[in-house]
Amino acid sequence: MALLDVKDVTQQFGGLRAVSSFSVALEERELVGLIGPNGAGKTTIFNLVSGFYQPTMGTIRFKDQPTAGLKPNHVTTLGVSRTFQNIRLWNDMTVLDNIRVAHHSQLSYGFFGCSFRSARYRDQEKDITANAMKTLEALDLDQYADEFPKNLPYGTRRKVEIARALSIHPRLLMLDEPAAGLNTADLTGLIDLIGWIHKEFPITIWMIEHQMQVVMSLCQRIQVIDFGATIAEGTPTEIQNNPAVIKAYLGDDTI
Amino acid sequence: MKRYAWLIPVLLLALIGFGPPLAAAEDVIKIGFNIELTGDIPDVGEASKNAAEYLKNQINNAGGFDVGGKKYKLQFIYEDNEAKAESAVSAAQKLITQDEVLAIVGPQASKQAVPAGEAANNLETPMISPWSTNPNTTKDRPYVFRGCFLDPFQGPVVAKFVTEEFKAKKAAVLYDIASDYPKGLAEFFKAAFEQMHGAGSIVAFETFTTKDKDFSAQLTKIVASGAEILFVPQYYNEVPMIIKQAKQLGWTKPIMGADAWAGGDLMGLCGDDCKGHFFPAHYSNVGAKGETKQFIDNYTELYKKTPDDVAALTYDAIGVVLAAIKQAGLTGKVKKDRTAIMEAMGKLKDYPGITGTMTFKPDGDPIKCAVVVKINNEGKFEFYKSVCP
Amino acid sequence: MPWGGALLASILQNTLNALQWGSFYSLIALGYCLVYGVLLLINFAHGDVYMVGAYIAFFVATFLLASGGLPGWVVLAVTVPITMVLTAAVGVTLERVAYRPLRRKGAHRLYVVVTALMCGIILENGNLALLGAASRAFPELVTTTVFSLGDVKLTNLKVAVIVVAIGSFLILETIVSRTKIGMAMRALSYDRFALPLMGIPPDTVIVFTFVLGSSFAALAGLLFAMSYPVLDPYMGAMVGWKAFIAAVVGGIGEIRGAFAGGFLLGFVEIMVAAFLPSTFRDLIAFTILLFILWMKPTGLFGVARFQKI
Ligand SMILES: Nc1ncnc2c1ncn2[C@@H]1O[C@H](COP(=O)(O)OP(=O)(O)OP(=O)(O)O)[C@@H](O)[C@H]1O
Ligand SMILES: [Mg+2]
Repeated sequence: MALLDVKDVTQQFGGLRAVSSFSVALEERELVGLIGPNGAGKTTIFNLVSGFYQPTMGTIRFKDQPTAGLKPNHVTTLGVSRTFQNIRLWNDMTVLDNIRVAHHSQLSYGFFGCSFRSARYRDQEKDITANAMKTLEALDLDQYADEFPKNLPYGTRRKVEIARALSIHPRLLMLDEPAAGLNTADLTGLIDLIGWIHKEFPITIWMIEHQMQVVMSLCQRIQVIDFGATIAEGTPTEIQNNPAVIKAYLGDDTI
Repeated sequence: MKRYAWLIPVLLLALIGFGPPLAAAEDVIKIGFNIELTGDIPDVGEASKNAAEYLKNQINNAGGFDVGGKKYKLQFIYEDNEAKAESAVSAAQKLITQDEVLAIVGPQASKQAVPAGEAANNLETPMISPWSTNPNTTKDRPYVFRGCFLDPFQGPVVAKFVTEEFKAKKAAVLYDIASDYPKGLAEFFKAAFEQMHGAGSIVAFETFTTKDKDFSAQLTKIVASGAEILFVPQYYNEVPMIIKQAKQLGWTKPIMGADAWAGGDLMGLCGDDCKGHFFPAHYSNVGAKGETKQFIDNYTELYKKTPDDVAALTYDAIGVVLAAIKQAGLTGKVKKDRTAIMEAMGKLKDYPGITGTMTFKPDGDPIKCAVVVKINNEGKFEFYKSVCP
Repeated sequence: MPWGGALLASILQNTLNALQWGSFYSLIALGYCLVYGVLLLINFAHGDVYMVGAYIAFFVATFLLASGGLPGWVVLAVTVPITMVLTAAVGVTLERVAYRPLRRKGAHRLYVVVTALMCGIILENGNLALLGAASRAFPELVTTTVFSLGDVKLTNLKVAVIVVAIGSFLILETIVSRTKIGMAMRALSYDRFALPLMGIPPDTVIVFTFVLGSSFAALAGLLFAMSYPVLDPYMGAMVGWKAFIAAVVGGIGEIRGAFAGGFLLGFVEIMVAAFLPSTFRDLIAFTILLFILWMKPTGLFGVARFQKI
């Protein structure tokens, strides 16, 4: 049984078919890449999986459970986590608080339990802070705990966003163009980080990326889409030499 | 042709439906009511309507109103002016031009009566405001009358009363500067009191604006001013808040009101706090005799409420209009009748109203006495003293 | 008494008056601030929610007084939570039936604000239609006792109002800055999109925000009804507008700002009425507020915020 099973999913925006009959199956602990030209529908696929959109057609199953009709927060609690193409951190909350919000979601979100400060609640609160610190330490971010994300360099913000995504203990981590906007030095750091995460945590990673260097050095297999449909699938080397892919990326006339 | 056949029964129905009232229109006396049914002082509007309905039913049930040997049914048309000046003007215009009433009773409060009086006078229709005490309501308006005494009269009455009763030499005033009635009253009181005790005897002359709820700053000044009495010429729904706050800021001396105190459910809103204070009134329902008592008893039985002065004054105002109609006679020509009624009203002598005997001056204001009422320990408005001009 | 002493007494007395009057603005401003802070929605119906709170308190209190020989303070103690819960239900209902559907459909914020305005008018006129235009007197639940400190007069009610306002502020400040739901509220306000990805249901957080705002408006309504015991359907309109202005001047979105703004407005209004002709009160008060905004457009405690959407 695949961890994530997407079958024949189509997403229609008015007259535009952003995703058409897209299928993928991700196994436990895989590291898979999703590439394609701008506007191919990659982010839309992530939005579908994380519950922001409901597919026009097709089914999505996570841990063998259909996610149709579930709200994003519900999908998250099943163990799906993601980052965004343009970083979406809470810029006016400290790095530590950004992480703590995620930890909170593991407690019940009852109305009154949270406003009355019982002893048990205070204990939980302490645990949460400790856990959040642990997550930050693991990614070597603990020195920024009290900083505001808006004051951090871009590469560090990316890392914080990944840390936040990890802090809900996901089974599936979806990274939307994690290398976007990074300089070369940051890039090697990022490749190491993703590799390390994949090794250390029992999770599946699904990554959208334009930077071939990142995709080629990390992914075990790659899926290429154009105009919302899969045009190729295979190992990095196979993909690199696939004429359809080259055509999609470089346009017709170069062939 | 056949296509329009269905029109025949419709037209017939219309003839049957609208025919008789058209024929009977000549036997009806139409009087308009421009009253405050909603808005800030709905109790006033309700009392007006109650009194009017009571009087109408009394006359109509007895066969109608006799003018020159002919019986007329009374038809009263009630327009809500929402306690707003603009709405009062449009209500007056509607009653005059659309409903073609012979005369208008109301509006009650000066804020509405002053502008509505202008409209009625311009359209040459007699109007009588039972309760408005602002001089501007009738000033230079031959067609406009009132059924009560005036602000300039209430001012000296209160000044005279507090001087005799409490030997007061220093007085304070708190009033709404944005409203004609309290503003006029406050100024007339100030003039009268200063005339008796010299300039500077009004030690605090404090203002607020309509809808204010907190008067603590003004009352703090008043309490510190050393005044011996406080004059609050406000409406019944504002008085409770003012009196409560005055008490909480340490005011223990008497408070004098104006006739508007009796305009609604003052005691229901104010409770114990208003007991022991005084205000001038047009009539007192405690200790009434004769026709006044009969009115009070019947009204109370009908509406489960003792009539306040608005009800009594409205009853009298309608009576004045009817007396003038009887005197003028009716020709059926609305414009001509209106002018004749106006002329007859200005010459009424000793009309025996339930709020006292009224004689009208040509300027539209009646000559009558004021009653100073005390709110007794049962919360009743008890006759205390009569003050005449 | 020397003139200086009288002046001092009058300043002290008016400070107390201002604290009481400002308490109402503050309590209402807090609700504006919470909803704005979380949804960037100016909930113009809030002043009327406060009016509804006062009426609910009136009905609960009169019902309890009539139905059993309970002493006044017991009635009050029971009325407070019931009023808060019922008014919160009204606030949440507004959220559910009026604002949420629009949000779902991705309506521009302007439409939601206009909807809020309309909801306010509906509440006012619904009340008018249901209960009629007559004013109502709030029963005296606890006897008001006047204490004198020299020339300065204090009542138990005044003290209670001020204490409740300060207490409410502290509670709200704690909830927002220290609890997990508070943290979720803040997160929601900065980026609504990212919150569900942390497994937190945004709707729950929004409903909670309305619960908080409305129940504190209820508290304000109840205390207002006790202090100025004549109720009418339009009582919330003007006070609501002014509280909204207070919240903006304090720095809308900042709990501290709303709280301070409410008291600031209370102070300015009372002090102007006390030491200048009271006719000028609103003129001067709002000129001062305008000046503050002119100096600091983000309000006293506000910080400029850039929202990338
Ligand atoms: N909510 C939406 N409503 C309408 N159209 C949308 C919506 N979201 C995406 N689209 C359209 O769907 C298509 C696919 O967009 P998507 O963001 O998934 O592309 P992408 O592959 O992520 O591109 P990029 O590499 O630029 O991030 C685009 O044409 C986009 O304009
Ligand atoms: Mg994208």
